[in-house]
Amino acid sequence: MEKTITKDILKSKLYSGEQPATELLYSRYGGMLFSYILQFVPERGEAEDLLVNIFSSLGTRLQEACDSNLSIYCWLQVEARKIILEYTHKQGNGDNGQGKAYYFLLLEEASPEHQWVFRELFLYGRKKEELAVQVDKDPAYIGGLLRECLLIIRKKLG
Amino acid sequence: MKIQEYIASGIIESYALGLASAEEVAQIERLLPFHPQLRDALSDFEFQLELFALEHSGPPPPGVREKILDRLRELPAIRPVHRRGGQDGRKGKDSSPEYIPIEHSSTHIRVHKYWRPAFIAIFILAKILLACAIYYFIENQHAQKDIRQLQEKLIKTGGSTTEPGQ
Repeated sequence: MEKTITKDILKSKLYSGEQPATELLYSRYGGMLFSYILQFVPERGEAEDLLVNIFSSLGTRLQEACDSNLSIYCWLQVEARKIILEYTHKQGNGDNGQGKAYYFLLLEEASPEHQWVFRELFLYGRKKEELAVQVDKDPAYIGGLLRECLLIIRKKLG
Repeated sequence: MKIQEYIASGIIESYALGLASAEEVAQIERLLPFHPQLRDALSDFEFQLELFALEHSGPPPPGVREKILDRLRELPAIRPVHRRGGQDGRKGKDSSPEYIPIEHSSTHIRVHKYWRPAFIAIFILAKILLACAIYYFIENQHAQKDIRQLQEKLIKTGGSTTEPGQ
């Protein structure tokens, strides 16, 4: 694997300013994050705009990335997902074909119910309680399905 | 709490993917400094996620880099720096400074707005004192001149009064 960007590397770049730090992150993670965005927003033009929004807004918050318990890439993914979900909620995007790629490749062998739970929680940012009401089950049941999805993902990645 | 059971609960994955609730995030962030196993499990999963992302990445669209840099250039140059919040094991090891030094090229300084009337008052007072100084200097010059004239007159009159007695 190519050299990952550690917090020390990012901090040293931040001393030179936000632009050099963001350039460094983009050169390393731009392509990775673009593919990540495409699982939420399959339309490439929209995904491109979101990539610009994500890097230009997170570029001013890189000190937070250094202070986070997460690695730089995971922090980027988590913060990017918040921006993407805010955008998709504003657009009122429903099921437009997502859920067939990226992390869902790891869940191909999971049951449709598992895939549905992960899709609703991860791609659409819905709450466990909402899903529980929808299927007339306890939120703990949805939590259990999510846990199983996450363990499948871990197993497949490892 | 048994840490292995906690790790097996899927909390690490949930946290790294941004699916954990606020309470779960607070709990794991509280535990991370005290449990190396938890930190190792998180680092391991983060590494696997990054590897997966790398394998599934494509080239970013052309022109995006320039758009991002243009946006950043439009933003103000100086922003508040976030101070560290709660200290944990990782952060505790970090001895780098809390502040980002900001290079500045401006030759101007900014002062509190209360200084404005003070500067105006000082300026007016300085003008009054200068005018007074000039006025009294001229007055003094005139006085000196008058004294000299009077002295000359006195000498002349003194000389004329002594002549007849000779």
